[in-house]
Amino acid sequence: MEVLSWITKFIGGPGTGRKEFEEAFVPGETVGDVLGRFSARYPELDTALWDASKKALGEHIEVMVNDAVLGLSHTLDTPLKAGDRITLLGQYMGG
Amino acid sequence: MTGTALRAPTQARPRTETRAVLGGYAGKLLRVNLTTGKIRAEPWTPEEMRLWVGGVGLGAKILYDEVGPRVHWDHPENRLIMATGPLAGLPVWGTGGLTVVTRGALTDGATSTQANGFFGACLKFSGYDAIIIQGQARRWVYLYINDDVVELRDARHLLGKDTWECQDVLSAEHGLTGHQMSVYSIGPAGENLVRFAAIQGDYGHVASKNGCGAVMGKKRLKAVSIVRGTRALDAADPRGVVQAADDIAHDLKTDPSARSLYEWGTLPAVVNLYKMGVLPIKNYTTNVAPAGVEMADWEAPKLRHGFDHRGHQCSACGMHHCHMQVIPRGKHKGELVDEPEYEGWSGAGWQIGLLDKESIAWLNTRIDRASVDVNEFGWVCGWVMEGMEKGYITKAQLGFELRWGDLEGAARLLDMISHRKGFGNLLAEGVKVAAEKLGGAAQEAAIYTLKGASPRGHDHRGRWEEMLDTCTASTGTLESGVPAHVTEVGLPARINPFSGEEVARQVAGILGRRHFEDSLGICSFTTRTRLENVCRALSAATGWLYTVDECVRFGRRTAAILRAFNLRCGIGPETERPSARYGSAPLDGPAKGQAIMDQWEKMLDSWYAGVGYDRKTGRPTPETLRKLGLDWLRKDLWGKKR
Repeated sequence: MEVLSWITKFIGGPGTGRKEFEEAFVPGETVGDVLGRFSARYPELDTALWDASKKALGEHIEVMVNDAVLGLSHTLDTPLKAGDRITLLGQYMGG
Repeated sequence: MTGTALRAPTQARPRTETRAVLGGYAGKLLRVNLTTGKIRAEPWTPEEMRLWVGGVGLGAKILYDEVGPRVHWDHPENRLIMATGPLAGLPVWGTGGLTVVTRGALTDGATSTQANGFFGACLKFSGYDAIIIQGQARRWVYLYINDDVVELRDARHLLGKDTWECQDVLSAEHGLTGHQMSVYSIGPAGENLVRFAAIQGDYGHVASKNGCGAVMGKKRLKAVSIVRGTRALDAADPRGVVQAADDIAHDLKTDPSARSLYEWGTLPAVVNLYKMGVLPIKNYTTNVAPAGVEMADWEAPKLRHGFDHRGHQCSACGMHHCHMQVIPRGKHKGELVDEPEYEGWSGAGWQIGLLDKESIAWLNTRIDRASVDVNEFGWVCGWVMEGMEKGYITKAQLGFELRWGDLEGAARLLDMISHRKGFGNLLAEGVKVAAEKLGGAAQEAAIYTLKGASPRGHDHRGRWEEMLDTCTASTGTLESGVPAHVTEVGLPARINPFSGEEVARQVAGILGRRHFEDSLGICSFTTRTRLENVCRALSAATGWLYTVDECVRFGRRTAAILRAFNLRCGIGPETERPSARYGSAPLDGPAKGQAIMDQWEKMLDSWYAGVGYDRKTGRPTPETLRKLGLDWLRKDLWGKKR
């Protein structure tokens, strides 16, 4: 898991820089499974990441898998492989 | 006071007036005829206020009614409308806002472009909701407003001055400091009718799009200066305004997305957009930072804290967004600059291969002071740099060598464009015209829409929503803008950004929100919150019951009028395409290989269906116009029988 820049605020960080975490998973677990387990440890992140149903992502945080936006190579239901990297990134605000 | 009055002060708003004015409004429009020198105040009714609100809503209606198809951007009868809205001057964050509406010089079509600072509040406190400027002065003038004194004054002593110098001179002449007077002016680029000249004001705020500064220059209007007026504004429910304002501020401080704007303005976008492949680098030739560049050094704190800086907030704003800075080192050490927005870091930096932060901050301010749109400057300058690298623009043509990242060269190019010197005369027409003139590989490399507009400071090949929006827009720039809280208007929280169908539905679905925001006299960054809060502020100010549904419907009404205006100007669906480079597939980076043009026609089909416009003619369908309550426009577009 890679948490970048602004989103580090939601896991107790300074809102800048990068934090990395190794997450263990069992074969067959999906992007959504690992994201859910990770965010559950950080209530503020959990609120910002998911919508009210807690089953779908909300609109505040971008999720990338192996540097590709979610929806390209992976969805929430795609099983993970060893070495995959999930990145959480702030939503684009302003120009 | 100095300066020569060209006419006696008008009694534009007699102090004896007792007419009741709707809450939130000053109640009058100021019409300035530069040809005759006549200035008059025109009342507008509460019914008209409800229909057209202000800003782009009001401006679109005036533009449609008063500027016919033969009145091109440089015709004296073109209108330059500088409009605020019902929230301007009230204690809601970011309510010094100004929307400029005109027939713009870059597309020769409709324009809606926003700036902030204090202009909107000062104008409202002087008794006016908008200024409608028409005609052309015989000699250079500036418009001076100080409550009941409204005059056109001799501006010959301001000619050649950049926008900051102009504000310095006018402030000194009137003995005013700080925010006692708002000045929006044009620099040399506007005087010389550069097609992407902007109108800049209050040291760092820019109405930048579609050459509105060239329109002002053509009218020989150097500046509009407004002394902070002495009139109070009423609100139907003052306590309600304060409560809504408090909720907006609270949302901005606590919302998971908007919090970054509250703390850092648009600075976080540099790293975020790079990660998504949306930061434009060297004219779209790559999406990968050069070896040795660490993106952590481009995070917001690094961009701000490297400078001696202080807040430079707009009227009634508590955001930590706008800042002034002092260059800490190098050739320009000690110079005061305005902190670049994200688009400054991109247009005056990454897009032209310039990665020295002090240099970018300095160049960005020079661009503002010359009254040039930083985005179009980036597309022009980056295109010339690539052209020199690849040989389709030569030293003989330009007059000097210009390589990627060359600060002094870029500044020299800015001067050539601003004064239309040498090759700069062609570049001053904008990248589309210049590229078409050179043709061949040069044209292939240029970034523009077929309408003649240019994208904002992004690589839209990684952000398809904004490319579709830019190409279909009727405003000369993004029309639907940055979606925020899209679920509030019934749209999905997220989509596959490279699914043309999903992108088109999203862009069509959000149409109208931005028009509503840009009609209120409020900064679009402080409306990156729930629309419901903004609607409550508007309702409390005016006494209306304004809902989210109504605000979207109002915005779509405005969009339809602007589209009808453009169609009447001959700007139709055939122009809704990106140039070859703009629509190309990225060669590297996160969006590598994503080819939007493979899906373009289907995207347009979906977008047209979503907004209710006719795919073949581009017109809003009769049914759409009926639903929007635009029967008068339906008759104009489709005849009486439809």
